[in-house]
Amino acid sequence: MQRKGLLFVIVALAFVALTVVPALAQDEFVFGLVLVGPENDRGWSQAHYEAGLYVQEQIPGSRMIFFPSLNPADAPETTLLDVATELIDQGAQVIFTTSDAFEEDTDAVAEAFPDTPFINISGDNYLTGEAPANVGNLMGQGEWSKIIAGCAAGLATETGSIGYLGPLINGETRRFAASAYLGARYCYEHYKGGNPDDLTFTVTWIGFWFNIPGVTLDPTEETNTFFDSGADVVMSGIDTTEAITIAGQRAAQGETVWALPYDFIGACDIAPDVCLGVPYFNWGPSYVSAIQAVKDGTWTPSWDWVGPDWTDINNPDTSAVGFVKGPGLTEEQSAQLDSFIADLASFATNPFVPNSFALWSGPLNLQDGTELAAAGQLVDPLDVWYLPQILEGMVGASE
Amino acid sequence: MKIELRHIHKRFGTVHANNDISMTVDAGKIVAVLGENGAGKSTLMKILSGYQPADSGEIVLDAQLASYHTPQGAIAAGIGMLQQDPLDIPAFTVLENFVYGQKTGFLYSPRKWRERLKSISARLGFELDPDQPIANLSIGQRQQLEIVRLLSMGVRTLILDEPTTGISAEQKLILFEALRELARNDGMSVLLVSHKLEDVIALCDSVVVLRGGRLVGTLQLPATMDQLVRLMFGQELAPPAHECLVNPKTAIALDNVTLRGKRVTVQNFSMKIRACEVIGLAGLEESGQELILRACVGLVKPTHGHIALGETNLTGKSYREFLAAGVAFGAAGRLEEGLIAGLTLTEHIALATENQSLVDWTRAKMLTDQKLKQYNVRGRPESMIEQLSGGNQQRLLMALMPEQPVLMALEQPTRGLDVDSSHWIWQQLLERRERGTAILFSSPDLDELVTYSDRIFVAYAGHIVEISDARQTNIDELGRLIGGHFEKASGS
Amino acid sequence: MKNRTLLTVGFALLPIIASVAITALLIVAVGSNPGDVFVAVTEGAFRDSRAFAGVINFWIPLALCSLGLIVTFTAGLWNIGVEGQMMIGAVFAAYGALFIDLPGPVLILVEILLAMLGGGLWAALVGFLKTRLAVHEIFGGVALNALANVWAIYLISGPWAPPSGGTAQATAPFKDTAVLPAISPEFPVSLIALLLVTATLVIVSFALSGTRWGLQLKATGKNSRSALLLGVPTTRSAMSALIVCGMVAGIAGSYRVLFTYESLRPLVSGGIGFLALLVVLLVGLRPLFAVIVGFAFAVILAGSTRLKVALQLDQSLAGVLQGFIVLLVLLSNGLRQRFTSDSTSSETPNTTTTVEIQRTQEHG
Repeated sequence: MQRKGLLFVIVALAFVALTVVPALAQDEFVFGLVLVGPENDRGWSQAHYEAGLYVQEQIPGSRMIFFPSLNPADAPETTLLDVATELIDQGAQVIFTTSDAFEEDTDAVAEAFPDTPFINISGDNYLTGEAPANVGNLMGQGEWSKIIAGCAAGLATETGSIGYLGPLINGETRRFAASAYLGARYCYEHYKGGNPDDLTFTVTWIGFWFNIPGVTLDPTEETNTFFDSGADVVMSGIDTTEAITIAGQRAAQGETVWALPYDFIGACDIAPDVCLGVPYFNWGPSYVSAIQAVKDGTWTPSWDWVGPDWTDINNPDTSAVGFVKGPGLTEEQSAQLDSFIADLASFATNPFVPNSFALWSGPLNLQDGTELAAAGQLVDPLDVWYLPQILEGMVGASE
Repeated sequence: MKIELRHIHKRFGTVHANNDISMTVDAGKIVAVLGENGAGKSTLMKILSGYQPADSGEIVLDAQLASYHTPQGAIAAGIGMLQQDPLDIPAFTVLENFVYGQKTGFLYSPRKWRERLKSISARLGFELDPDQPIANLSIGQRQQLEIVRLLSMGVRTLILDEPTTGISAEQKLILFEALRELARNDGMSVLLVSHKLEDVIALCDSVVVLRGGRLVGTLQLPATMDQLVRLMFGQELAPPAHECLVNPKTAIALDNVTLRGKRVTVQNFSMKIRACEVIGLAGLEESGQELILRACVGLVKPTHGHIALGETNLTGKSYREFLAAGVAFGAAGRLEEGLIAGLTLTEHIALATENQSLVDWTRAKMLTDQKLKQYNVRGRPESMIEQLSGGNQQRLLMALMPEQPVLMALEQPTRGLDVDSSHWIWQQLLERRERGTAILFSSPDLDELVTYSDRIFVAYAGHIVEISDARQTNIDELGRLIGGHFEKASGS
Repeated sequence: MKNRTLLTVGFALLPIIASVAITALLIVAVGSNPGDVFVAVTEGAFRDSRAFAGVINFWIPLALCSLGLIVTFTAGLWNIGVEGQMMIGAVFAAYGALFIDLPGPVLILVEILLAMLGGGLWAALVGFLKTRLAVHEIFGGVALNALANVWAIYLISGPWAPPSGGTAQATAPFKDTAVLPAISPEFPVSLIALLLVTATLVIVSFALSGTRWGLQLKATGKNSRSALLLGVPTTRSAMSALIVCGMVAGIAGSYRVLFTYESLRPLVSGGIGFLALLVVLLVGLRPLFAVIVGFAFAVILAGSTRLKVALQLDQSLAGVLQGFIVLLVLLSNGLRQRFTSDSTSSETPNTTTTVEIQRTQEHG
């Protein structure tokens, strides 16, 4: 009997091993991330990397593999095709290509791997119908957080002059700069009581997402130029932190200046006292739902442009975009900003208002005077997405 | 210090550069080491001064077996070598160079060293300003500084390699006097490597002669030049012949030219050289003769005046246009200007002769073989140029020049060559002269100038004086003119 | 003689073995298994024809640039501007691809010729600055590299931006007739490019060893003053060396846009020109060796893509390995010269001479 018992145990164990172990392996769900910059860039790429970590927490058995700094300068020896091949070889079942720089290549690579879903961040190829059937797009409605950031700048400025450090010029960067401008203008007028036509909002495009010595304008120098020419708030639209760093240095020398970094929640730490806040993306929740869908077999490609959770724009589990207030705001300004955000929320959640962005309403003209929206008319979100120029009233280049 | 060399051997590959050399130099003696280029003199001196080790053999200093492997070790043992080009640091001052490499102790006292520098130079009759940067010194002064430095480091044997090349006659006298003084009063031994037999006769107590790596003879001085030559080559050398086989029309004319150099300007100078003429240019370094010579080949452009080669006006034209018009140029620094270290002999010949866009290496190699024979160059076509001795390099340079140019302009054509090589070079030059080539050469060697020139131009600080018949002059007069005593000039 | 060969081979292998050993130690130090790393890199490079194609696609521009640089190094020039010459080659080829309408094969020929024209012109600028304005080729090159990048970014974000929804990160993808065809989908490598590399290798080798032009370049590079006095047109030599290098770099640049990316992007030259400088410094002026060592670098770098993905090890490990190889090769070269007193000077790029330009004649 004992022998039989032992045999039984062994057979049982073997059976369990044979069924459970593969089951465990099957339970593992691998997803791939392709980053355009390093995973610790304190900006765009780090936000995606952290979303990947968030997915690992939220979906048991999920595992991230990623490839950092895929761009012609940092990784000339490889291409998206090679990287995707490696990721899929390592078991990736869905791949996020996290830059508009990958937009075209994602389509080509996806055609080579028709069974693997690809999600391209900030592209619109699904929307335009160019994408193959296994490519979807995802973008957060950063316009909202830029509007809030602009408001913070409008509340803080004493000289009535705001500088915006832009990267290169495309639809996305134009609409973000324009959103910031609309927010600044609104709050300067309605909370600060200034004349909006006195507000100067200058955009300087440095030419790329970060400083390339000799190639782009130097963001440090441009930030200084802003401050030297009368601006007291500089908003950053680039991946790196020059604006807040310089503002911190100048404040330490007794100047009254502020800055708003971009993209990375912790960016205020560099110079807390001059930081008015950080607009940021929170990709985690969208990643979780996309990966869950792929895992469940329910994923279909789509063009997702995800807004904040208006009950709490900073809820890490629900809100795709957010704004962290910085210590540089006074209590009064902080309260004004809260009330502004509440107004935005009621606008956005009002079922009678068509899907659109607050403040993007007529009368609005493009920089060359072309009418974007007549008085009382809301701008269609797709017209915001494809904004061809910056807006009338802003100073700076449109292309 | 007494030096004994016992059975020194040194091989470079298949070449036996020093083959069982044994010799003795007594304390207080000045001994010349003679030999053709490639005879093994430099190798022996480098072994003695620690720059390279012997394969076998012993060096015995004052009855003590010496063992050192570096120049520093040799200096510590009492042997210092004065290089042909003193190894000083141009940016440093005289004093800094003097102190450099010496044991200054923990506390460096500039005053003490300044005094030391002054006292040694005063004793030897050297005039060295401690605060001058080296860059301002003449070669002769740099040499003096190096001697003072070596003495201060306790050297009791001095090795000098061609010390009289590039220094003035006056500096030469001072140098010789200093060496005699050191030998006589300090028991300093001196080894002199020189091609200039008149220097050897003037200075040395005895000579040793090397040939093909072996020691082939010794001779007590005084002896005549002929005896020395015979010992070196087993033959005496014939004086040059003067003849002209063509109509001696003007080869090159400088008309009222102004030439600006770094330190000196030659103003409103005119000169005509006819075919078959040999013109010597005399003068201390940077007195203006270099400018004239280089102006004749287009390397210095006149700021004023005209230059014509034959009938062709070449004013302001490039060197290459001068070349095409029929000049040939040989610079003093052969490996700096003229030959290319890292290229083989064949490559040199091909560079100078090939004018097709595809190089025919077989033909180039055959031509090289032929030229090497014709010009008596000891080397193989595939050797690198820097592996050749100075004389062979000079002969190859000659082989690279066109056979019969209108004008040959040569800076110090026999610099650093032994008597045999110099004689050979001049034979070549005079042959070309006979067939109509005009020759313009500069030389620090007054003998050479007087021996070979038809006319001599003497430069002093940019002023030029012509000696219209070189046969009517002598070394003393030339020496005075070089020193700037123009009032006694015999012509103008 | 046999001993000598053994020594040469030994000195060639030593640094590679040593650098692999040091890198292995480093890998252990960061807590990974060197064996895994080796397997990952090897698999990354040779797993299948696609992976191997990745290696070849990086090797092609690298080999081309190395061959071009051998020409300029022979002439004693540090053509650090090779990177910008690649970039301009890419820009010119992109112009052809975007705006010229011709049947496929003709269009590709035109694109490559345009790339050669662009690269050559950009290099000629370096030469002009050097010979006319006495700007050293390193400074001129660096400045023109930056300018080339600025120009490309301007074109991409401005005049050549795709018509709608442009991201300013690339031009629109080139039409199918404008890009180089791949040998097969399983082995995506351009046959035309392979032939171009082979042709360049043969032409450069022959030009340097068998033509008067090559001999004059060598003379200029070794001692331009002497070369000038021997009648070599040194200015023209330097200029022509730069232009030839620029043309070859232009082809390399065109490959990046006509095949690798199929569109013009910022910084497509990707530092390949600089890597090629390193290759030539390592192997000296030997075209065949440069191509082979370039291949080794391509294997390590392209193979290491897998490192990152499979082991999540920092990809810069490949850079570390590469750095060690370079350092140790240079070290072993030094050692070899000491031990064998073998003057290999004729085969290493001359790093000291500057080209004598005709102007300097004026102050003799």
